[in-house]
Amino acid sequence: MQYCTACQKAPATIVIMDLTEGAVTGSQHVCAACAEQMGVVQQKLPPKFSPELLEDLLGGLKGNKPTRPQKSEACPGCGMSPTEFRSKGRLGCPRCYETFRHDLMPLLQRIHEAQSHRGRLPARVAQPVPAPEEDRSLAELRRRLEDAVRGERYEEAARLRDDLRRAERGEGAKS
Amino acid sequence: MSKGRRGDKPPEFRPGAWLLGTGPEHDIAICTRARLARNLQGFRFSPCLDEAEARDLYGTIVSRLQKPGLPDALAVVDLESIDELERSVLVERHLISRELAAKTRASGVAVDPDESVALMINEEDHLRVQVFAPGLQTEEVWRRTERLDNALIQRLPMAWSEEFGFLTSCPTNTGTGLRLSVMLHLPGLVWSEEIDKATNVAQKIHLAVRGLYGEGSRALGDFYQVSNQVTLGRDESQIQSDVFLAVGRIVQWEREVREALLRGSARTRTLDRIHRALGVLERAQILTSEEALGCLSALRFGIEEELLRDFRVADVNRALLLSQPGHLQRHTRERLQPEERDQRRAQLLREVLGCTP
Ligand SMILES: [Zn+2]
Ligand SMILES: [Zn+2]
Repeated sequence: MQYCTACQKAPATIVIMDLTEGAVTGSQHVCAACAEQMGVVQQKLPPKFSPELLEDLLGGLKGNKPTRPQKSEACPGCGMSPTEFRSKGRLGCPRCYETFRHDLMPLLQRIHEAQSHRGRLPARVAQPVPAPEEDRSLAELRRRLEDAVRGERYEEAARLRDDLRRAERGEGAKS
Repeated sequence: MSKGRRGDKPPEFRPGAWLLGTGPEHDIAICTRARLARNLQGFRFSPCLDEAEARDLYGTIVSRLQKPGLPDALAVVDLESIDELERSVLVERHLISRELAAKTRASGVAVDPDESVALMINEEDHLRVQVFAPGLQTEEVWRRTERLDNALIQRLPMAWSEEFGFLTSCPTNTGTGLRLSVMLHLPGLVWSEEIDKATNVAQKIHLAVRGLYGEGSRALGDFYQVSNQVTLGRDESQIQSDVFLAVGRIVQWEREVREALLRGSARTRTLDRIHRALGVLERAQILTSEEALGCLSALRFGIEEELLRDFRVADVNRALLLSQPGHLQRHTRERLQPEERDQRRAQLLREVLGCTP
């Protein structure tokens, strides 16, 4: 088992690849916690059961705005207080999005008439391109083509040659 | 790519994308710009950073930008190393915002040689990616922006969540962080007093209409910026087509009113207005930047509609830029009092436009 190269403590479950123009130029094995910290994967935390959550649910059922006791807790990420957030309408750090979620949702609704994202996300961009596999399959095709030629199996060789050309153009070969 | 050191002069820029006077619909659409708001994990948002953190953030970003393989060759200008005048030159070229120019802590801008890419570092968000192209080219500009963003995402751990998309300092940018805007020259709509109607229509479909220098700035010289307001809940290609279609309609509208302004009895009034503006540019000894913008707008209108033959749009665009206070003072290589500025401006405009009174 490989250990996380970042914290050296937990088993590595995620491989991060450095891509430069589609080619893998390096890789790193890390654990889920470190990956999350690096912004590669974001864990979807299950909602923790809390009096607040219950209150939100009940408030929703009652149909009118819940008179929620004002939480005076500051954001653990940046120290911004709820009052400061409400007066400025600006967030102090990424964690503020969770901390001030309750006040933020109606604000987003008002600004965008929406509350959740559609579109690009780094996770989708960072999907590693299987470049090494492609290289391997190219080498494999070349080897089989040489074999076929040497064995005078010309029909097979012609097919492999076409596959190889397609693969070289990046169209993916059917082998 | 080289890092601007303290004391270095910022590079001399070639004319930026918005000056070229080319591209689709260039008679009305001057320039298309995409802007992305991006923030790094592990830092508070820029307005909350203390001085040491701001420096740390700036250093991190600059060093990652220097890794090879970015689709654009960028030169970093350290804003702490240049003075107020040079900063205002960057503002006037639309490379940095007024807000960034006013910052007193570690911040900078990374620019490519064509001035078609400008990355603001440590503005309201850690990174503000900007891509420019002349004319109405929303699709092309978005494609370039996406390519650059992909490269940045490989280099920098961006702050994001599945639910909210890219996390930004101000909730007006949350989600895609994308603001796609087109700078339009709309003298027809202004002169025929239909501009308010056009603005209202744009706002109804959630587009913002602003003046030449973005948020909060007044529309000077009949120049407007139209951009998407919503960044959350619509994806990038939807935003792109929203802006493209709406701007296309405004362009069409502007063409129609221009036609009406050049028909029948309206024609003489329109010609009178254009030639008066030309008269001022040729003869005036003192020109404020506001008056200059108004006259240059009328001149541009006259050239586009082929009413004036001895001038080129590219020269008018250059005159628009050079008559701004920062450029004017850099051109004359001295700091000028407002009165002197207005005098030099009148003189410089005659030179640029090749007027011989
Ligand atoms: Zn780890
Ligand atoms: Zn926070």
